[in-house]
Amino acid sequence: MRKGEIIIRDVGVCFRLYREKVTTLKEAVVHRFRHLRSAENFWALRHVNVSITPGEAIALVGHNGSGKSTLLKTIAGVLQPGEGEVLSAGRISPMIELGAGFDPELSGRDNVYLNGALLGFSRKQMEAKFDGIVAFSELGDFIDMPIKNYSSGMYARLGFAIAQDVEPDILIVDEVLAVGDERFQEKCKARILDFRSAGVTFCFVSHNLEAARSLCPRAAVLHHGRLAFDGPIEQAWEKYRELERGPMPGPQINVAAS
Amino acid sequence: MKAMELASPAPAALATESPKRPSPLRELWSFRQLIALLVVRELKVRYKRSVLGLLWTMLNPLLLMVVYTVVFSTIWRSSFRNFSLFLLSALLPWLFFNTAVLQGLFAVISNQELIRKVRLPQAVFPLSVVGSNLVNFALSLVPLFLVMAALDQPFTPALLFLPVAMFILTVFTSGVTLFFATATVFFRDVRHLVEVMLQMVMYLSPVFYDLRTLGEPTTWWFPLFKTCLQLNPLTYMFSLIRDPVYYGRLPELSTVVIACSAAVFSLVVGFFFFQRLSPRHIHYL
Repeated sequence: MRKGEIIIRDVGVCFRLYREKVTTLKEAVVHRFRHLRSAENFWALRHVNVSITPGEAIALVGHNGSGKSTLLKTIAGVLQPGEGEVLSAGRISPMIELGAGFDPELSGRDNVYLNGALLGFSRKQMEAKFDGIVAFSELGDFIDMPIKNYSSGMYARLGFAIAQDVEPDILIVDEVLAVGDERFQEKCKARILDFRSAGVTFCFVSHNLEAARSLCPRAAVLHHGRLAFDGPIEQAWEKYRELERGPMPGPQINVAAS
Repeated sequence: MKAMELASPAPAALATESPKRPSPLRELWSFRQLIALLVVRELKVRYKRSVLGLLWTMLNPLLLMVVYTVVFSTIWRSSFRNFSLFLLSALLPWLFFNTAVLQGLFAVISNQELIRKVRLPQAVFPLSVVGSNLVNFALSLVPLFLVMAALDQPFTPALLFLPVAMFILTVFTSGVTLFFATATVFFRDVRHLVEVMLQMVMYLSPVFYDLRTLGEPTTWWFPLFKTCLQLNPLTYMFSLIRDPVYYGRLPELSTVVIACSAAVFSLVVGFFFFQRLSPRHIHYL
């Protein structure tokens, strides 16, 4: 596999939903049979096939609960698919959520190093990046304040500043561009376009056609965990609109389908 | 059109050259700096806004030692010379083990936000708990040495064995912590079970007494008790530390061998279970 390639092959992710979640031994013993019977399988994703070539940009669209975020999580390796497989090569920068892993008690500086280590960077590598990250985040002297005193905009800025500096081969973005003020959003977008021109593979979840169209020529439409369409973004968007008008957009539970 | 290409299955050739996931051990090794940072974070957050800060780590075992010494030398009339040192030499490793296991129970659960969002070997969380407690353990050697000096206990070269002893104990503790950390994710009442079990284990370990100096078997349950002690790996772990500190000699080779085997066994089993079950954690958090 080449760096930046992603192959999603017949992927299915199943969540077992219990009416009342069994989390204690006693419950497991007492309700042994009942909880097994009342378990419901919810396939958040099923039979999804997508392959993404290095340097390609793809938008994932779909209504709430269609499985977009689940798919991003399987690509990022956070979730293991129950069926099929996801193959990817290269470093993945999962901007699934900006500032995931920030510790509110620690200063911005400590959090930069902590986040870097979470993404697999050594202290030395982060030291080299540190000034660039602070400059990008425009936090200035606030970098030495505990993060809990940050405004939500500052929080997101620091998060993006770290995520944009990890030299990814695959960039995963889950609607995080709606952060900060307009100027900072433009800056984020420009940075992503830089990545695009540098040949970084890009997966993007969005409900915003304008944002998606400006970044991705291709889109995959998910509907109730299935791949409904995969192709040029204009057609994908039409399909998405059409599905949205259809009956009941919302998660569906397949009762005891195991 | 893209949609057409995608309908056909990916070529089989790709599957053969696709990169395998790195082995769990190698992956964990590549995140060693994260473990170090998590240890630092835990220590920083723990002592934030406390006036005495790290001093508490040294004061805590000393205060406990005073309580136990008073209790055991006045009520129980323990016949040991320098009972406070005798006690402290096993109390410190016990506190390390006990606190690491207890805190480790929530290592995965309390980091669920991260586990949901970032791909990383989840073992870093329980291991960082062990790490931060190891730092505390090492710091508590300072008051131990102070007590030794105050009681005119000789400092022998056998004390150089302490780092080895601590390493063996850390390996053992890591395995136990990993095991219960993953178990707690699936059944939250593991916590209560472990809390009670640890209390029992404390009295079934030679913290307040010593295997060699136990009295003559006078009651019917005594042989059973003694067997328990002999089967308890902590008995050997504590000897590794008590022998150099209190008796001023190296532990016996057989003790070291048993302790090492128990440590390796614990880590292998704990890591194996943790690794096998950790992909399923996310569904139970």
